[in-house]
Amino acid sequence: MSAPARNPELVVAGFPRTRPRWMQIATSADHKDLGRVLIASALGFLFIALVELLLMRLQLVVPENSFLTPVTFNRMLSLYGATAIFLFAVPLALGFFYYVAPLQIGARGTALPQLGQIGTWLFVAGGAVLYAGFLFTPSEAGVNPLPPLSGFAFLPNNGVDAWAAATGLATLGFVLIAIDLVATLRRLRAPGMAWRRLPIFSWATAIGSWLLLTIGPVMLAAIAMLLIDRNYDGIFFAGDSGGSPLLWQHLSWIFYTGSYMLVLIFALGAIAEIVPALARKPLFNRGAVIGSLIAIAVVGTLAWMQNMLTAPIGLGWMYFAMVMSLALIVPFGLVFFNLIATLAGGAAQMRAPLLFASGAIVAIALGLVSELNHSMVALGWRLQHTVDSTAATHFALLGGAVFGGFAALHWWFPKMTGRAMGETLARFSFWTMLVGALVAFVPLMLAGTEQGQVIDAYKFFDGTGVNGYNLIATIGAFILAAGILMTLANAILSRSSGTAAGHDPWHGDSLEWFALSPPEPHNFDLQPDVRSPRPMRDIRDAIAHRDTPESQPARESQPVA
Amino acid sequence: MLWIGFVAATILFVAIVGGLLYVLHRYRAERGSEPRQVTGGRGIQLRVGAALGLFAAVLLVLGILYTGDARETPPTGPAGLQAAGPDSEPLKIETTGQQWLWRYDYPNDAFSYYKLVVPVDTAVELDLVSTDVVHTWDVPALSGKRDAVPGKTNHVSFRADEEGTYRGQAATLSGEAYAAMRTEVEVVSPQEYEDFIEATKEDIQTAQDRVVSLIESGETP
Repeated sequence: MSAPARNPELVVAGFPRTRPRWMQIATSADHKDLGRVLIASALGFLFIALVELLLMRLQLVVPENSFLTPVTFNRMLSLYGATAIFLFAVPLALGFFYYVAPLQIGARGTALPQLGQIGTWLFVAGGAVLYAGFLFTPSEAGVNPLPPLSGFAFLPNNGVDAWAAATGLATLGFVLIAIDLVATLRRLRAPGMAWRRLPIFSWATAIGSWLLLTIGPVMLAAIAMLLIDRNYDGIFFAGDSGGSPLLWQHLSWIFYTGSYMLVLIFALGAIAEIVPALARKPLFNRGAVIGSLIAIAVVGTLAWMQNMLTAPIGLGWMYFAMVMSLALIVPFGLVFFNLIATLAGGAAQMRAPLLFASGAIVAIALGLVSELNHSMVALGWRLQHTVDSTAATHFALLGGAVFGGFAALHWWFPKMTGRAMGETLARFSFWTMLVGALVAFVPLMLAGTEQGQVIDAYKFFDGTGVNGYNLIATIGAFILAAGILMTLANAILSRSSGTAAGHDPWHGDSLEWFALSPPEPHNFDLQPDVRSPRPMRDIRDAIAHRDTPESQPARESQPVA
Repeated sequence: MLWIGFVAATILFVAIVGGLLYVLHRYRAERGSEPRQVTGGRGIQLRVGAALGLFAAVLLVLGILYTGDARETPPTGPAGLQAAGPDSEPLKIETTGQQWLWRYDYPNDAFSYYKLVVPVDTAVELDLVSTDVVHTWDVPALSGKRDAVPGKTNHVSFRADEEGTYRGQAATLSGEAYAAMRTEVEVVSPQEYEDFIEATKEDIQTAQDRVVSLIESGETP
């Protein structure tokens, strides 16, 4: 053995593990363990959401089908909505934020690890509560359980209470994790890691965390009101005794719209890491992308009433929603422009992350331009509440959480496990998913815009001109599911049998590639000294010129943090 | 005017995806060119941002103009019901959503379920209310959708220019039989409308008398 270490923190790496792996994960407050719990649970819930989607699509394969009863369909719909948003999309984004951002800023951990630990397990508990609902009865109130339907008078069983408890626990967990991330990014950046040098994905983390700190409590308040209304004779959402059903719509749409933006900010942040590295070119304009992501968070969330254009709200509010929605063209357009301009003049290696990133851009663009139609007030009166809005939301969130999430998964998987995901299976998976997504949701766009097929209905009628569209959509959903399953299988198989990837497989610019793969519990033996927005490239250069340390200019002053 | 939104959406989508596919094809690593280590300055961001902003502003103006158009129901024409003539109020019909039927209350104490009968070429305004949960009234061929929310009155108006039958379906999940909550609008001539109102009033009166007589004679149904 060598001499006793002068820095006690360096010793941790060599200690043998004394507890079984599962117990170590269950009791760990390490952001990497918790991030993996978040990502793995989110991907598990993605699988469950897919099963529910396929069951609903099977019911809608032919007109007036009786595969599912109306009540079962509504339960599937409610579970699907809660699973897709609260248990898959948001925790997947948070999982990557939580795993990657502390590494990217050169921190040895997070600022408030126990808070993140409580948050992660609250989210897992939320998922357990939602599915424990099967033991009694799941909610029948739909994706967004609007009062009065979600009130005690119309759904007196425990389903909506279970929904509220589950989403409430998960949302509380998200808020706690966001607090930890905000504090970590504020306090624990490595020396020299000024905000202007922060990697783009860490910026996305900061923006997403602040967004969650804003919208999470709004949803928690709404859920608390719903529980009070249902169980303690509250009148928050009772239209005839001083409350208003519209109050729920405002509060819940603030959260849903904000989390939609959160998922897109996560995906665009990850894509803006992947594209420059694989094109071997710096991001075209960091400032513009960061500013655009901030604008998306603020303006996008302020557009929440875009979802309420048919509700009895004043015309002025509708125009406010339209102004905010249309204003989003600028920041989203600028992000897309900068990504494309980064690729222009580069040397793009079409590896799996870039493939999924490109798919994400296509799907997000398709979803957003459809949403743009919905936000032009009089068009919204026609298109909203049709399956076209289902399709638009699915394209944007498939692009953000599934294609974008899979891009992030392929990108950071080598860091998390030390092994790369299989490229061939990734390619098959990608093309299957892309074809599946288009075949599943483009027909629904047509059914919604041409024939006005209504949203969330457990059946449709013969002679309404949508038979073919729904049949094709069901086939597409199965293709999509097959593609997604390939990537899930790829991830599971590659954990143990992927090729060893090394510590810096992509030649990325940010500091997570300076850590080992997988990183040690304390992340870095040596906290790096950051002198540019591309610290890992500086480290590679320094290693290349290691033989002449005197040639490195001495730092003249303490870096400004 | 529906096409403006679709044209704008198509322009943006083609620009993004076309640009992406072009650069991915043109600047792929197999071509072997060395990546140019350049970044963009503020000028080009401002120009692109301004162009996008202009695009959004044009859409906003068009959206407001189109919404103004869509909100304005044309007044009753010469072939319409003259009681709701061009200078007077539109024909107001109270429309009540309830699980899982629509009820229509006409101005002169007649009412109907499921089927709404309105005169052709006449401005009609539906006052939407709900007795239970949120419903959305939607007959795509006549007008846009509006929600019926308990405790609030919402309005939707239209003028049907052709006689015929128009179908619609409620568009907000309202419980078990939501998908079966359909409605039908029958557009008829003003004379047929008046006849329908009279006949309905008589039917209602007959039914009412029958109930009263049954109760009074002790044979409660």
